[in-house]
Amino acid sequence: MTHNTDTSVKTEGVWKIFQTDGLSIEAVRDVSLVIGAGEFVVLAGPSGSGKTTLLNLLGGLSHPTKGRVWIADTDITDMSERELARMRLERIGFVFQAYNLLPVLSAKENAEFPLLLRGVAEEERERLVSELFEKIGIGGLEHRRPSKLSGGQQQRVAVARAVIGKPALVLADEPTANLDREASRALLDLMVTLNRDLGVTFVFATHDNELMERAGRLIHLVDGEISSDNKQVLR
Amino acid sequence: MVVMIGLANGMISQMINNGTGLVTGQIQIHSPQYLPDRSVYETLGSHPNDVESLLGIIERDPAVIAAAPRVFGGGLVSSGAATFPAILMGIDPAREVEVSRIAVMKEGRLPLTGSNEIALGSTLMDWLETNLNDELVLVAPAADGSLGNDLFTVVGIMESGIPEIDGSYVLLPIDVLQSLIALQPMRIHEIVAHIDDPWDAQLATDRISIELQRDGYAVDVAAWTSLRPELREYAQLASGTQWILAVIVFSMAIFGVANTMIMATFERRREFALMLALGAAPSGIIRSVLSEAFALGLLSLAAGVVLTFPILVWWHHFPLDLSAVFGGFEIVGTFVKPVLKTEYPWAMIFFTAFALLLTVVTAALYPAVRAARLAPADVLTGR
Repeated sequence: MTHNTDTSVKTEGVWKIFQTDGLSIEAVRDVSLVIGAGEFVVLAGPSGSGKTTLLNLLGGLSHPTKGRVWIADTDITDMSERELARMRLERIGFVFQAYNLLPVLSAKENAEFPLLLRGVAEEERERLVSELFEKIGIGGLEHRRPSKLSGGQQQRVAVARAVIGKPALVLADEPTANLDREASRALLDLMVTLNRDLGVTFVFATHDNELMERAGRLIHLVDGEISSDNKQVLR
Repeated sequence: MVVMIGLANGMISQMINNGTGLVTGQIQIHSPQYLPDRSVYETLGSHPNDVESLLGIIERDPAVIAAAPRVFGGGLVSSGAATFPAILMGIDPAREVEVSRIAVMKEGRLPLTGSNEIALGSTLMDWLETNLNDELVLVAPAADGSLGNDLFTVVGIMESGIPEIDGSYVLLPIDVLQSLIALQPMRIHEIVAHIDDPWDAQLATDRISIELQRDGYAVDVAAWTSLRPELREYAQLASGTQWILAVIVFSMAIFGVANTMIMATFERRREFALMLALGAAPSGIIRSVLSEAFALGLLSLAAGVVLTFPILVWWHHFPLDLSAVFGGFEIVGTFVKPVLKTEYPWAMIFFTAFALLLTVVTAALYPAVRAARLAPADVLTGR
């Protein structure tokens, strides 16, 4: 099978079944989709519809029970944990609902963490973080600990960490869920800008109506299955 | 643990020093046929200068601190109507004090060379109902078949704590005993050497034996480890027990530290899951946890050194003598005082430091592997 190199992520007949107390829970059921490079995609659906599980499968954070997953032209389905870690480091950025910053590190140290894992030199890391922080409006906060930042600022640091390594794909799980309306809108503007300026592919899982409205493509999930998949004008 | 090993080492060391420091010494040189019968005729020194020459060769060995000649005889010691059998030990007072504690008097002083003076064990003194400056009669079978006897003045009382010694040993000048038992002045039965570290006795024995053979002396050189096998075996047993105890303590410590590390890594599982999600390799997580454990081990080591080293040094130089409370006790023919004295050879210190670091790193291995095998998606979504 060949794949278009413009494909950012692709799934084919993917299932994820959890075994809990002797019960089989089908969190994702037979999902096949192709997300192109540079798309701004929202996965929407009620709680328990399988958004986060699908996001984890797309990011190689968990293995599918059935089916296959590709990142660009690389089949990641049967990769070892070590290979998946390498792939995540080089190609994927993550933004989590609960920010998930390391509390003992400063904002700068959190943001540069993927670069540190890649072995980028300190001066280069410093320069990239400084530029990105200015760009996303948190310049001057480099040395603050996460506990000294607002929710919006923490989520911007998390976004900076996700995009600083120039990944092909950023996966964001409810990135605006813990933010007020103003901070949420500002973060959304930032991600739209990064999508346009850097060509980064964004895939969100969200309940946020504003995010859904501004998405370039809206995929609805119900009971682990895709119920609708519509392209719309990115705003 | 370090203090405990230090105290055990101190006790073993005291036992060996006491066991070898009274009569046995750490190295003995005899005529090849002298042991085990201790015949009065089996002597060293067939020529007038032999003994001085032997002493010179022995004292040239780097481990030897001092050496002393001895003559032994059996006899009877009488005071009034009381008569008891005794082991007569002829000594060179100036040399003997350098090699054994039997020459350290509880009361009085050592007999002087050339004078009819003797020192007795305290128990023998009691049995004879005699005191310092009293006169006693010694009777001993002589080498020429006659019966030697003479009158002696008691000038010293010794007390080793070993009933067999305190109840039978009589010290007198070597020349006087030679005369009493009709032995030529150049003939002796034994040379005893005192060395720096008792555990080096066999090595020193081998060196001395080679040197003496090279100079044409057909003599028997024996270390305390073969002269007192029961003492050597007891010391080895005590030492082995101490190592077994150390292994048990460190094994228990591994479980304790492992439990703490498991709890610590469990509390930080979200952090590890995040690092894995961001692309940290599982092996990197293992290295990170082990490095932290190693760093904690180093800190513990530093704290341990600060806390225990002063105790080790203090109790080495100022041992706590509990004999006033508990008295003394005898182990395999050796009198041991309950003295809290530490010994801290560098090998022991390096071993315990290495064992501590090995313990914490070993204990951290399982938690590290668990942390590296976390499923990031499950942990980050709280599943």
